[in-house]
Amino acid sequence: MSESTITRRGFLKQGAVAAAAAGTVGGLISYDAWSKAYAAADSQQEVKKVHSLCNSCSSKCGFTAHVKNGRVGTMTGDDEHPYCEGTLCARGYGYAAVAYSEDRLTHPLKRIGEGEFEAISWDDALTEIGDKIKAIVAQDGPEALALIMDPRPSGSYYTKRFMAALGSPNTYTHGVACNLAKTSGMTQALGAGDFTSDVANSKMVIFIGRSYADGLRPGSLHSLQKGYQNGSHIVMIDPRMNNSCTYATEWIPIRPATDLALILAMANVLVAEDLYDHDYVDNYTVGFEDWASRLPEYTPEWAEEKTGIPADTIVRLAREMAAAAPQASIEQGWRAATGCSHQNSGETARAICLFNTLLGCWGVEGGAYFPPSVSVGKLEDPRFAAPPKVEAKIAGSKEYPLAVGSMGVATHAVQQAGEGNIKGLIFYQSNCVGGYSNPAQLAEWTKAADLSVAIDVQMTETCKACQYVLPDTSYLERLEVPEFVGGKIPVVALRDRVLEKIHPETRPVDEIFTGLAKACGVGQYFDFTVDELADAQLKTVGLSLAQLQEEGIHAFSEKAWKPQLKTEWKTKSGKVEFTSEACEKAGFTPSPTWVEPLVMPKEGQFRLVGGKQTIHTHTQTANIAPLMEISKQYSLERPWLNAGVAKQMGIEDGDEIEISSEMFTGRTRVKVTERIEPTSLYLPSHYGRMIPEQHVSYNVGLSQMDFVPFHIEPGYGGTMAQEVIVTIKKVGA
Amino acid sequence: MTRYGMLIDTTNCIGCFACRTACQRQNGLAANIDYIRYEDRETGTFPNVGFEVIPIQCMHCEDAPCVSVCPTGASYIDETGTVRVDEQKCIGCKYCMAACPYLVRVHNPETGAVEKCKFCAAESFEGRGETCSCVEACVTGCRIFGDLDDPDSDLNKAIAERNALPIAGDRTKAKIFYVR
Amino acid sequence: MTYEPIWGSIIAWYLFLAGLGAGAFATSAFLSWRHPEAVTMRKIGHLIAPIAVGIGLVLLMVDAEAGFANPQRFFLLLGNFGSVMSWGVVFLSVFMVVALAALVLDFLKRPVPGWLENAGAVLALCVAVYTGALLGVCQTFPLWNNALLPILFLVSALSTGAASVLATSIIRHGEEFNRVGVLKKFHFCLPIIELLLVMSLLFITQSNSEAGWASVMALVSGKYALAFWLGLVFVGLVGPTILEVWLLFFSAKEFEESRLAHWLSFLSDAGVMVGGFLLRYLIVVAALPLPVAVPLF
Repeated sequence: MSESTITRRGFLKQGAVAAAAAGTVGGLISYDAWSKAYAAADSQQEVKKVHSLCNSCSSKCGFTAHVKNGRVGTMTGDDEHPYCEGTLCARGYGYAAVAYSEDRLTHPLKRIGEGEFEAISWDDALTEIGDKIKAIVAQDGPEALALIMDPRPSGSYYTKRFMAALGSPNTYTHGVACNLAKTSGMTQALGAGDFTSDVANSKMVIFIGRSYADGLRPGSLHSLQKGYQNGSHIVMIDPRMNNSCTYATEWIPIRPATDLALILAMANVLVAEDLYDHDYVDNYTVGFEDWASRLPEYTPEWAEEKTGIPADTIVRLAREMAAAAPQASIEQGWRAATGCSHQNSGETARAICLFNTLLGCWGVEGGAYFPPSVSVGKLEDPRFAAPPKVEAKIAGSKEYPLAVGSMGVATHAVQQAGEGNIKGLIFYQSNCVGGYSNPAQLAEWTKAADLSVAIDVQMTETCKACQYVLPDTSYLERLEVPEFVGGKIPVVALRDRVLEKIHPETRPVDEIFTGLAKACGVGQYFDFTVDELADAQLKTVGLSLAQLQEEGIHAFSEKAWKPQLKTEWKTKSGKVEFTSEACEKAGFTPSPTWVEPLVMPKEGQFRLVGGKQTIHTHTQTANIAPLMEISKQYSLERPWLNAGVAKQMGIEDGDEIEISSEMFTGRTRVKVTERIEPTSLYLPSHYGRMIPEQHVSYNVGLSQMDFVPFHIEPGYGGTMAQEVIVTIKKVGA
Repeated sequence: MTRYGMLIDTTNCIGCFACRTACQRQNGLAANIDYIRYEDRETGTFPNVGFEVIPIQCMHCEDAPCVSVCPTGASYIDETGTVRVDEQKCIGCKYCMAACPYLVRVHNPETGAVEKCKFCAAESFEGRGETCSCVEACVTGCRIFGDLDDPDSDLNKAIAERNALPIAGDRTKAKIFYVR
Repeated sequence: MTYEPIWGSIIAWYLFLAGLGAGAFATSAFLSWRHPEAVTMRKIGHLIAPIAVGIGLVLLMVDAEAGFANPQRFFLLLGNFGSVMSWGVVFLSVFMVVALAALVLDFLKRPVPGWLENAGAVLALCVAVYTGALLGVCQTFPLWNNALLPILFLVSALSTGAASVLATSIIRHGEEFNRVGVLKKFHFCLPIIELLLVMSLLFITQSNSEAGWASVMALVSGKYALAFWLGLVFVGLVGPTILEVWLLFFSAKEFEESRLAHWLSFLSDAGVMVGGFLLRYLIVVAALPLPVAVPLF
């Protein structure tokens, strides 16, 4: 790598030179030697408490870190943060190890060959990237640039501002591989992309393919626990008996990709048996007749054929929901059923909203609500003025008209790079290549771009495919712009500097995009520091940076959610829309009807389903030692196979199996379990990382995405990550 | 007298591992050193299935086999009834690991010594109040820490109310009580 | 989660060498009683005893990493007389003193007094029994936690100790080897007794708990089956017994005293020692713990 020595300003001054020198080889001291000497030099320091925000998943929970000797020790969740309510998850504690990881990116890198990089200076990196961006803008226009990121407070602000300054509308989030179809489907029905089931106060909630205990956000889990303990009827519809079933009154296994059939059949029961909320439907909705006229064909018996759930169970669930209404709802789901997994994900999300509408549960305590939030006011200082509005639409909006523009279809942009229409790709904290869809395909297209840049903390599949890799600071080493969080009581929270910068040649996201902007000739929009920006933003809500740093989290109690039947909607009609013109134009029926999944497993085949484990977030945490060590110790990388099926196939728990799809074949040991329905093979989505620079995660298990063909959900733009059939066989049999 | 003990309600445990990683932070442990380990099982057959996760750590036994086999006196019971290891005395013979019925002692390859849960509160817990990192971290509140000698402690009340019992009978007079 | 054995081959070597050294000294004591003329063999026993035990102790200290890095901590080893290990340290230390004293006297060509020989023999028995009791008090492991184990380790210690003395004498003192008939007959019995003890141990252990059953299955049909049947049972116990039965009872006297027979006997003794090590190793690594919350197997 580079010649430069890893040091820390002030470190050498502290009389620990001898200790460091002991570990010095040819001008380089090992990171290990450095950290030991550093700890020894500072051992007299007091414990310092710092409030900040986690980065191990998108929830960004608030925590307090106890910093001693320049290292993070004890961490506690902040009580006021609505997402954690005082407790962090395993990732929260474990992911802090990223700061000290030996696999950190420490210098800007330039690709010099397949998988080979050399360290270059920031000046060279920024100049070269800037020149290429300017050339692309000059030749093909700013629309030929695309930026993909996993939203984080500063990341969202700086990336969008940077792209807008260049005149490009193409800022994408990871939504395409997460919750894009859900948000988009809901937007068609409700004019809003998210709602929250008030599980704690509910009488009944049906969860569809979502597990608060696995994709763990502590606040949501608390709400589930409360609801269950208060006697709510909690139903988990999932091919897998997920860990939330600890707080479920029943688990109903379903064939994946058929959730829409269940919802249509339950809606049919509500309408046929006249169990729906006439008052709500008559006054606050449009287009009900259209849906009512389409529902009769979706009988419970028809749905039983599709889902594997007995017809009488479907009827019972519908009646129980009606009886519990309005303190009842179908939870919105996230990645699995509604987010990005199937050809019918978007329509499933839309159907869930319409089913809930039949219950009249919107805004009611125990029903489903829209958490209030507070946002930044107008900044007076001209330095913060927005760049000129970009008139062009985000690339992909024509092909996938239902996809919400705030997320965009990121994989479409990468595909366009492969086809030569997008010339420059920038990734910020996004392992798009490794985690969104088929990695081999995405890597090929990324490499085809004239310019490709990845900004991250560790080498990833995406970094490997890019020409330039820029080293980010870890989340513990930087201040970011304030994060406004919605909740029953909305708050504003802050990611603050918990540690001093560890590797001197890393830069925080704000400095990186400011540098890039200057190199591209649009530096005038970035003439401020992140501290100044944060302070200015907070001033608009009557706070200051210093105040929030001290307080950690500020709650806007006066804006707390007050249960009240929701009667106004941000749709065109101002009402809940059972029918959607946009959906009709995109090839769907005006109100949701059955959409066949792209594939269905036949005898001897399985649908490969993914899903989070509590200790990991997609591919991001795989290389974090305290978390991956758990996976290794408890063999969590093993795919789940139904016990009855395994017996028929002569496969025993722990046997090595070979899994094959049209894209990929791989071998791993299997977990044989009663906790999964027979047509599914569950492969946790965190493993199979094959990046040699990731020493912890390398070659553990298989990657779900390797098996998945590249495709995009019609209309909605999701990656259809579970539209894949696999066969399995026992190795050596 | 203070006699620390704990209750773990496994009917609320989702197996999220937060207690393990929080403990590692509080105690500055390497990734592969765990004071808390887990056993789990499934019951029933598809689709009528149940599952259970049981976190297991040092039970701070009153009749501690680890203490009786330790040849150097490194393992001892302190004035709060907490079973401790004096790392300055431990030679790393691992005899205590072989004697512990709960398999919760770990050999630290860096120091060569044997370690285990030391009830943070008895040491110096940095979190909020007199408790342990696993108790504070538990997302679903499975754990209660307290003084077994205080009849009014929440711990004693919960043990009585929920009929909590040591995990493997009372052969070692364990001070962690389980609800299963 | 799979269970990893707490101790491995280093501790097995230690248990084996401590037993062998003790057995070697006991063999010397036996020789001074029944074969006072076998002076060289007695000295061989005196030589082997402290060397084997000494190497064993070094291995023990190497395995005790924290102590190895901070040797002053070993002085704390007498800190708890409730611990079998502390008693073991006492036995081993005193035994080493006695064994070294005997060795020094041999070197000075001075007679080893009978009381010293007897005291050493008693200590040797204590050391041998201790190696079994060390494991035996661990209640977690059914394969260890029984009264047979110390007896089994004692018999194996005597067997391997005698084998080490006999094998060494074969190399350079064939004449003397021919004259220790009583020792050889005793020695011949030991693998048979050991075999019976191993069988008893396995029968009883497999019946007392699931963990015991699984431990026994790991030995007889699981991942240690090859080492168990071929190494311990055949090479270590049955093979030597067949060879010795033939040599002692069925071969002609002239053949029995021939060099070829000596080397066959050497082979048998080597087998006994291989078996002695494998016995310790297999017992150490195959032991599985009783379940805590959930059956492990």
